[in-house]
Amino acid sequence: MMRFFRLYKTFVVQQLKQLMEYRVDFLTGATSFLVGQITNIVFISIIFSQIPHLQGFDYYEIIFIYGFSLVPKGIDHLFTDNLWKVAWFIVRKGNFDKYLTRPINPLLHVIMETLQFDALGELLTGIVLMIIASIKLGINYRFGNVALMLLAFAFGTVIYAAIKIAGAALALWIKSSGSILQVFYMSSDFAKYPVTIYNSAVRNIITYIVPFAFTAYYPASYILRGNDPWFCFGVGTAIAAVLLTLAILLWNRGLRAYESAGS
Amino acid sequence: MKWIGHVKRVYGGFTRAGAQGAMAYKFNFLGFFVGESLYCFVMYFIWKAVFEASGESIFMGFTITDMTLYVFLANIVGFLTNTDSTQMLAEEIREGNIIMRMIKPVNVDMSLLATEIGDKVVMSAFIFLPVMIGVEIYRYFALGYVAFNILMFLGFVVSVILSYILAFYLNLIFGYLAFWLMNIWGFSILKGSIIKFFSGSLIPLAFFPDIVGKIFEQLPFASMVYTPVMIYMGKLQGMDLLLAFGKQIIWIIVFIAIAKLIWRWAEKRLAVQGG
Amino acid sequence: MSNMIQVKNVSKEFKKVIKEPGLKGSVKSLFHKKTEIVKAVDNISFEVEEGEVLGFIGPNGAGKSTAIKMLTGILTPTSGEIIINGQVPYKNRKKYVKEIGVVFGQRTQLWWDLPLSETFTVLKEIYQIEDKAFKQRMDFLNQVLDLEPFVTSPVRTLSLGQRMRADIAASMIHNPKVLFLDEPTIGLDVVVKDNIRKAIAEINKNEKTTIILTTHDLSDIELLCKRIVMIDKGKKVYDGDLDHMKEKYGKMREIHITLKSDNDINKLSFAEKFGLTGDDIDIALDGKKAVVKFNSSKAQVSELLSYILSTITVKDIAVGEADIEEIIRRLYKGNENDETAHGNAAAVEA
Repeated sequence: MMRFFRLYKTFVVQQLKQLMEYRVDFLTGATSFLVGQITNIVFISIIFSQIPHLQGFDYYEIIFIYGFSLVPKGIDHLFTDNLWKVAWFIVRKGNFDKYLTRPINPLLHVIMETLQFDALGELLTGIVLMIIASIKLGINYRFGNVALMLLAFAFGTVIYAAIKIAGAALALWIKSSGSILQVFYMSSDFAKYPVTIYNSAVRNIITYIVPFAFTAYYPASYILRGNDPWFCFGVGTAIAAVLLTLAILLWNRGLRAYESAGS
Repeated sequence: MKWIGHVKRVYGGFTRAGAQGAMAYKFNFLGFFVGESLYCFVMYFIWKAVFEASGESIFMGFTITDMTLYVFLANIVGFLTNTDSTQMLAEEIREGNIIMRMIKPVNVDMSLLATEIGDKVVMSAFIFLPVMIGVEIYRYFALGYVAFNILMFLGFVVSVILSYILAFYLNLIFGYLAFWLMNIWGFSILKGSIIKFFSGSLIPLAFFPDIVGKIFEQLPFASMVYTPVMIYMGKLQGMDLLLAFGKQIIWIIVFIAIAKLIWRWAEKRLAVQGG
Repeated sequence: MSNMIQVKNVSKEFKKVIKEPGLKGSVKSLFHKKTEIVKAVDNISFEVEEGEVLGFIGPNGAGKSTAIKMLTGILTPTSGEIIINGQVPYKNRKKYVKEIGVVFGQRTQLWWDLPLSETFTVLKEIYQIEDKAFKQRMDFLNQVLDLEPFVTSPVRTLSLGQRMRADIAASMIHNPKVLFLDEPTIGLDVVVKDNIRKAIAEINKNEKTTIILTTHDLSDIELLCKRIVMIDKGKKVYDGDLDHMKEKYGKMREIHITLKSDNDINKLSFAEKFGLTGDDIDIALDGKKAVVKFNSSKAQVSELLSYILSTITVKDIAVGEADIEEIIRRLYKGNENDETAHGNAAAVEA
C-alpha cells in the first residue's frame, strides 16, 4: 500500500510538471469543459424564462441537481481519464503491451499514469452552481447531510469509474471501444435532470442498469426534499460496489482474452 | 468534364478506404448511433416536461411534434456534419505524419475530405435513413396525415451537404491548431460545445431573445444545423430559403479561404523547421 | 552452464476473420463473419543459455513477434511450455517481468511529453529500485548509451537513434536477467546502428544479460549473435551457428546486370557452362535490368563475371550478397522440396 502511494505520488509530480509545461493546453482544456457546462446552464435558464417549474422543481433546485451531477463526474474525470485512451487507441495501436511488461497491476498503472486537470473546469462549475443554488434555496447544511453528500460524491465517482473500466475493458477484445464507452458515458446526461421527467423504462435503466441517477438526482433529492436516505445513499453505495466489482471482473477477463489473442 | 474523372481516380481510393474504415469499426459505428439517440431522448423528455409545465400546446412557436422532430433532426444533422478531421489532422501533426500527406500529389484538404465522404455515405445509409423514416412515422401518428414534402426534403439534402462541407472546413481549421497546441482534445470539446450552442442543436435559435437569435442566425454555426433542419420542417420558404443557401455558400468560401491560408503558412513552416 | 530460457513445443493459434475484399466485403462482414484458425507459431522448441545472445529471425509475418510476446508474458501459448529464469512468463506475470527488460523498436515505453529523466524517475518507483542502486545504474547506462546530451529533453524531441538508446536504457534500469530486443535498429542509419550494437554487446559482456534479439538486419546478427533461431510460417526452420547457416544456405550471390539489349540474357547459358541448374540459379529480368542469383559454392563469382562480360555487352554490372530474406526464402523452399533439409537444419544444434 505504501508502495502504491509512493508510486502514485511520483506520477502526480510528473503530471504537475507536465501541467506547468503546457499551461495553455490546461487552460483551453479546463475552459472547454467550463464553456460546455455554461451553455447547458443557458439552456436551462431559457427554458425557465418561460415556465415557473419543471416537474415541481424550480430553477435553483434544477441548478442544484445539475451542479451536483458535475462533482462526481469531475472527480472521476480528473483521476481516471487514461481509460478513455485505452478505449480509443492504446490497445488499437498496440501500446497496451507496455503495461503487461511492468511489475504492477495494469489497471492501476493505466489509471495512475494520467491526472486530467481539464476536469477542474467541470468540478469548479459544479461546486459554484451548488453554492449559488444552496444560498438561493437556503439549504441548511449540518454534519449529517454534509457527510452523506460526501459519501454520495464518493460512490458517484465510483459509478463513473466502474463504467469507464468496463468500457475500456471491451477494447481488450475488440481493440477500440471508445464509442461504446461514449454511449454509456453519455447516458450520464440523463442524470443531470430530475429522473421524474423520464418514463419508467428510462428511469429504471438509469437507476439500476447504468445507475447514473445515483450520481446526482437521488442524493440531491434527499438534500432538497428529504427523500428516503436509505434508498438514496444505501442502495447507491451498494450499487456502486457491485458495479465496480463487475467492472474489475470484466477487466480481468479482458486481460485474459488479450493474453490469448494479442493485438 | 475530364477533371471529374481525374478527381474520381485520385480521391476515389481515399473515399473507399474511409468507407471500409467505417465498416471495420462497426462497434464504434453503432456506438455513436446509440449515443446520439440517447442524447435525443434526454432532450425529448426535457421538452415534454417543459411543454407539460407550460400548460400550452404551442411553446415559443413550436408544437411538441415540431419540437420532437427538431430534436432528432438537429442531432442527426449534427452527427452527419460532425467530422473527425480535427482529430485526424491533429494526430498527424503531432506525430509528424502530416508530411506523408504533403509528399503525395494531392491536396491535404481534398484527401481528408475524400476519406471522410466514404465514411459519411455509409453512415447516411445505415443511420440517417432509419432515423428519418422513424421521424416520419412519428410525425404521421402525431399529426394524422403524411407531412413529408419531397421538395423540402431535396432542399434539406442540398443544405446538409453544404453544412457538411462548411463543418469540414471549420474542423480542418481547428485541426490546424495542433501546429500550436498540444491539447486538441480539449479544444475539440470546446468547439463541440460552441457548435452545439450556436448552431441551434441545443436550443432552436428562435427561442433566444429576438435580437440575440437574429445575430446567431447570421453566424456560420447556424448554417451547419439550424438551416437544414428548418428547411426540412418547412419553416423556410421562398426568398428565405434562397437566402439560407446563399449564407451557407458564402461561409463555405470564407472557411476554405482561411483553411488554405493557414495551410500555406504551415507548409512554409514545415519546410523551414522540418516539422 | 544453465539454461536461462527453455521453450518446449510451443504453439499459438489465432482466430482470424476472413474479410472479402472491397466495400462489398466490408458490408458483408458487418453482418456475417467467417473465421479460420491460423497457427502463428507452430510447435517451436529451443533453449538459450545464460549470457547468450540469440538472434531470432524470420521474414515478415513469420510469427516472430507472436513468439516474443509469448516469451515476455504478454501472450499465453495455446500449447507447450515456456520457462524463463525459472518462471513461467504468463503465470504470475508481475513477478516474472521484474527480471526481464523489453524493447519494442517500433513503439516506445518512454513518457512522450516529459523530459527523459522523468521516465527514469517513474521507472525507479515502478521497479522499486533503491536510490543508491539507481544512481549506479544510471551511471552505467549513461556510460554505455551516452544519454547525457539529451536526458533533460522531452522525449518527443529526441531523434530516432536517441529514442532507441533511451528505450534500451529504460528496459535495463532494473538490471534484468533477460533482455528482449524486438527490432532495436529499425529505421536507424548505419552509424547509429553501430552505436546501438556496441552498446548491446557491452551490456551483454558486462552484465551477462541473456539477450533475445529479433531483426531484419543481417549485420545486427553477425555482430551480436553466435547462434540464431530462424522461423518461417510459424515453424522453426533453423537453429544453430550463424556461420554454418551462411555456409549451408547463404552461399547465394547476386550479380546485377544492366543490359544493352533485352535479348542478350538469353545468350547466357549458365547450365551448360557451369552446371548451375534448379535451385542453384535464378534469373530475374525487369526490362533491361537482370539479377542473376547463384550458388557460389558451385561456381566462382569471378568466373561468372568474366563469362558474362565476354559473352554479352553490358552497361553496368555489380555483385551483391543475398540478404536475410533471400536466405530464409531459399531455406524454406528447400524444406518444401526436400524434407531431409529440415532434418539437417535441426541436426545442426545437436
